[in-house]
Amino acid sequence: MTIAVTAWLGAMPGFMAPLLLAALGLLLCERAGVLNLGVEGVMALGAMVGAAMSLAGWSPWAAMGAGALGGLAVSLPFMVAVIVFRAPQISAGLALAAIALGASAALGRGASHKPFPGLENMTWGGDWAALPVVGRMLFQQDAVVYLTLILAGLMALWLMRTRAGLRLRAVGEDPATADASGVDVQLYQFGAVAVGSLLIGLAGAYLSVGGSNIWTEGMVAGRGWIALALVVFAQWSPIRAIGGAVLFGGAEALIPRLQAMGVEVPVYLLSMLPYALTIGVLVLMALSKRARQAEPGFLGRAYIRQDR
Amino acid sequence: MLESVTLERRSGAGPVLNAASFVGALALGVALSLAVLVAAGVPTKALFEELVVQVFLSPAGLARTVTMATPMMFGALAAALCLRLKFWNIGIEGQLWLGAICATAVALYDIGGPLRLPLMMVAAMVGGALWILPSVLLKTWLGVSEVIVTLLMSNIAYLLLQHLLFGAFGDPTFNFPTSPVFDDAERLARFGWGDVNAGVALALVAVAVAALTLGATRFGFAARFVGDNPRAALALGFPALRVLLVSVLAGGAMAGLAGGVIVAGTEFRLTQAVGLNMTFNGIVIAALARNTPAWIPVWAVFIAGLNVAGASLKVFYGVSEGIVLVAQGVILLALVTGTFVTTYRVRFARRGLA
Repeated sequence: MTIAVTAWLGAMPGFMAPLLLAALGLLLCERAGVLNLGVEGVMALGAMVGAAMSLAGWSPWAAMGAGALGGLAVSLPFMVAVIVFRAPQISAGLALAAIALGASAALGRGASHKPFPGLENMTWGGDWAALPVVGRMLFQQDAVVYLTLILAGLMALWLMRTRAGLRLRAVGEDPATADASGVDVQLYQFGAVAVGSLLIGLAGAYLSVGGSNIWTEGMVAGRGWIALALVVFAQWSPIRAIGGAVLFGGAEALIPRLQAMGVEVPVYLLSMLPYALTIGVLVLMALSKRARQAEPGFLGRAYIRQDR
Repeated sequence: MLESVTLERRSGAGPVLNAASFVGALALGVALSLAVLVAAGVPTKALFEELVVQVFLSPAGLARTVTMATPMMFGALAAALCLRLKFWNIGIEGQLWLGAICATAVALYDIGGPLRLPLMMVAAMVGGALWILPSVLLKTWLGVSEVIVTLLMSNIAYLLLQHLLFGAFGDPTFNFPTSPVFDDAERLARFGWGDVNAGVALALVAVAVAALTLGATRFGFAARFVGDNPRAALALGFPALRVLLVSVLAGGAMAGLAGGVIVAGTEFRLTQAVGLNMTFNGIVIAALARNTPAWIPVWAVFIAGLNVAGASLKVFYGVSEGIVLVAQGVILLALVTGTFVTTYRVRFARRGLA
């Protein structure tokens, strides 16, 4: 039993990291008032670019960087549409999802189903990694897991403790007031969605380069949509997003574990767990008044100065 | 940024501007899509042949297009009926799968005797409506975003489909995850023109009923009012909640029926491939039809033609079907960006006066 739990907890961070990266990217967009439904597609493109570059002989880090840049590049038309032309964000986001999903399928045909050496786990923990239960979880992960956790902390500090972070939150909360006090609303939105797209692309690239070391079409498998719900669960706070990502990552990691243990489980019914869990969590959040107030006040709406 | 440009909201654009912006955006979207196709390796000379002649003008090609447009009309109704009330149904595929599952259950368990085929269609509608029900209840009771709930319900539906295909519904004589083939009495009639079947008549009836209900009844008026201004509608005593519930459930039922006509009209069995990417297709067609049911058949044929062409481009030029998805995404993005022209008026600040 201890061995199984050790293995489960050891696998959990690998499932947590891509969800957290994508959620942090979305969180940044939403704090600036932009709802980005392109996430699933942008992750797919990041995963494909990361795999293609790995197959071309790039190092895992360079490949993941390329995946992040791919995420940014494919998001540019969306950014122009919603920030400059105030296009309805839900439709524009779905269009982005389609463009990015289609592009990843079309451009990635040569990279499909070909394994490549991916990111290695770190060995910094030494003998500590042999600790029962938590050893592997804490000390035997790849660097992206640790860096993502640090990033969440830094993002929380930046959002809540710096002037620029305050301005970004103001843009999503009450753009008219932000505008009146001299904040360039569109510039902040551009910055937030650009960095957010990089993180979402990176989340996808980590799935192929850091996780499975192979790329197949459809490998994102709804994780983008779960990240979208995770942001609501986290009440738009990067620190709470860590907790959410651990919860959802843990649920995801459970399924292959149970199978490996030889437990006779209805695989497909069990795979519903993360999605059902997400809906359950959203219901709980909706029942809490504080959670509802956490949503950026202007999320998904178009601001023009003349509305002030 | 762009301090010298200011935007003003228009109080409503005239018909000329509306039409011009729509046509302009569509033309831009189509032009960009063609550029994508050419970049992907389709010879420029072949574009007209593949995208127009083969899918709309040749009888066999047109039959394929109409066959594909049949479920798409239902999918577009599923998007449009909900969107009229500002309810984003992003789980059309989930409702479609449930519809297909329920229709298949009626067929496999031989329920209903002589009324089996009608019962399959009713079961499909009930399945679709039930699958959208949680999202509309959660939205109205607790304010949970329907965008996320419908999406997640779609993922759950797909897993349910797989669970059934690898289990109770699976065909034991076949290695692939498909259900046994339906009997003749469980199939929609064909007209001897390709795979075109009675589903197309059902779809046109559904479109007509939706158009008449929205255009010529008290309910339709209430639906328009509640969609445009829910608070005012509620204050004036319109049954806003009931209107929302009925419209959204009708939308779910249409998505379910899409699944029903796919299994009973073309596939004659349940497979993993019946979804046809319907969430996105439905939303694109609804956007092209501007949520007006009467326009849905026209644009369903247009988008179906694009998909049929995509399949043959894959065979003849090795172009990935992903390209069709890109093309549709580009068209949708151009359309929604085009609403800028009808929503806002741009004014350039005069320099030197400030």
